[in-house]
Amino acid sequence: MSNENTLLSIKDLHASVEEKNILKGLNLDIKPGEVHAIMGPNGAGKSTTGYVLSGRDGYEVDSGSVTLDGKDLLEMEVEERACAGLFLAFQYPVEIPGVSNLEFLKVAVDAQRQARGEEALTSAEFLKMAKEACKQVNLPVSFLKRGVNEGFSGGEKKRNEIMQMILLKPKLCILDETDSGLDIDAMQVVANGVNSQRDSERSFIVVTHYQRLLDYIKPDFVHVLADGKIVKSGDASLAKELEEQGYSWLQTEPTEDELED
Amino acid sequence: MSEWLQQAIARADSIQDGFEDQRASSLALLKDIQWPTRKTEAWKYTPLRAVERSTAIFKEESPELEPVAVEGLEFLELTFVDGQLVSLPEELPEGLTIEMQESSLFATIKPERHVFGLVNDVLAADVAVVTVAEGVAIEQLLRINNLLSNGAQGHIRVVVDIKAGASLKVVENAEGQGASLTTAYTEYQIGAEANLEHYRFALQAGDNVAIGGSHFKLLEKASLNSSIIGFGSNLQRIDTDIIHAGEKADAKLNAIYLLDGTELFDLHANVEHAVPNCTTEENVRGIAGDSSRAVFNGRIHIHRDAQKTLAELNNRNLLMSNKAEINTKPELEIYADDVRCAHGATIAEIDRKALYYLQTRGVSRSQAQLMLSFGFINELIDQMPTAELAEWVRPIIRDRFAQMEVK
Repeated sequence: MSNENTLLSIKDLHASVEEKNILKGLNLDIKPGEVHAIMGPNGAGKSTTGYVLSGRDGYEVDSGSVTLDGKDLLEMEVEERACAGLFLAFQYPVEIPGVSNLEFLKVAVDAQRQARGEEALTSAEFLKMAKEACKQVNLPVSFLKRGVNEGFSGGEKKRNEIMQMILLKPKLCILDETDSGLDIDAMQVVANGVNSQRDSERSFIVVTHYQRLLDYIKPDFVHVLADGKIVKSGDASLAKELEEQGYSWLQTEPTEDELED
Repeated sequence: MSEWLQQAIARADSIQDGFEDQRASSLALLKDIQWPTRKTEAWKYTPLRAVERSTAIFKEESPELEPVAVEGLEFLELTFVDGQLVSLPEELPEGLTIEMQESSLFATIKPERHVFGLVNDVLAADVAVVTVAEGVAIEQLLRINNLLSNGAQGHIRVVVDIKAGASLKVVENAEGQGASLTTAYTEYQIGAEANLEHYRFALQAGDNVAIGGSHFKLLEKASLNSSIIGFGSNLQRIDTDIIHAGEKADAKLNAIYLLDGTELFDLHANVEHAVPNCTTEENVRGIAGDSSRAVFNGRIHIHRDAQKTLAELNNRNLLMSNKAEINTKPELEIYADDVRCAHGATIAEIDRKALYYLQTRGVSRSQAQLMLSFGFINELIDQMPTAELAEWVRPIIRDRFAQMEVK
């Protein structure tokens, strides 16, 4: 199924955390410009998928392969994956007091530009871009001066994630339960930010427990993840179906411990 | 008593020079001393196996060694190689003298309790006495180089007498190659209203064993600004004593240690407030990686008469690995009732979640590490009064830290 046109190709991926198998044969191919939603019950491995793809410590790949743009993703360091175009919007963004948001963003953008052989931006150019990105997600410009996510509300953290995505211009964005803890207004802001970045090249994996985010970010495909693998795939209408029926029809084994951060 | 100490004593018995009286009393003390073990409080976390097993020898002939260059600075160099004084500055500024002669200050500032200080008393072959005449400010930095060739043993001693109203800047620089062993002690008397800007660099990671101390006696209104920066090694031990002996004296001590591999670094800092109205500010910060071990003991002793003392001691540490070890013990002993004192010690771990978060945005692990954790070290480097030294040492420290692995 994978061909030259595939951006991300996951083949029979098995992964574990603290010697507990979480992903048990995950397969997924994503072409440029596609939006895939991954839905499923708690403990199915949704967040684990994002962590494994990004290369987080402690998330061990036991077998299988993942390529991004034809390159072996699993061989790369965390930062190399980012520079290769992978972006993970965290469910729980990390607070880093003492490092300003602006400094952090500049270092990240510089590192990625350098990895791609592009010229570094001047501070003035960068500041202008950052301010525009702030506006796009309705984040006051003063947040650039604050410590990374320090004292931000849940919604502000999520918007900060989307702002980073806008600045970093990744090829593949994984949004990990970006809707969790957001009210409708905040969700709309986040969704608008995401939609503004959709184009024929950029792809998305939208990980969510609920269907409502998908009213705003329309997926091309919806997959149901249960017990570490995709058990059903369909178009956007599958999400509606799930909303009505819940996940009980999946007949999963007794729920495993919630291992997702 | 250890075999190593017996050999040291035997050698000392054979040395003859102008310091015989003082050496004789140290030798007598040494012959009676208990070799430190793990039960000795001052050596509790620093086993002396590396000394006991050392094969470093007193060399008859030593290679020519040059101290490291520092961009933008020309030092007055006082250079020892394998314990022998090999070079003195050709010309000295007016008011500064360096002599190989008896000094009444020898072994009076360094307390007797330092076992290896006594060893140094009896084994240091060339004792250099540096004197700054009253009221003279020496602008050029004096650098005391303690260079050791591979496998060599050497003991160096410098006594510095800064007369009233004078000022001096001194850099103590140790560079020991291979499995060398050294003791290096300096004693400073800072006269009334005199001041000393002091640095002790021990950036010699590796198999070497280095034990030594910098000891300061401050007379009335004297001021001291000291920075101690060290890497660990097979055994790296520095003792510093700051003795406030005259009122309104002011001491500032900043220390940084940065350890990797299986290195050991031990800093014992002792401050004696014997008289009223003196101030001490002490900031000690360190990072321990891999399976290294850092030891810090910071004691401030405020005597009964030392009213209106202002003393602060702070020790902050960062652990980079589950196997690294930091033993920190701040001690305040206060016998006066009208003083302001504070002390604190913290040990933090590297924030792995924050590292990961930064990396997912494309920031390299080493740069992420620097962004998260170099600030608290950099702050002390920024405070070094001679900017050229700060600019020289900053990348050395930064690169070592950036390359440390999170384990």
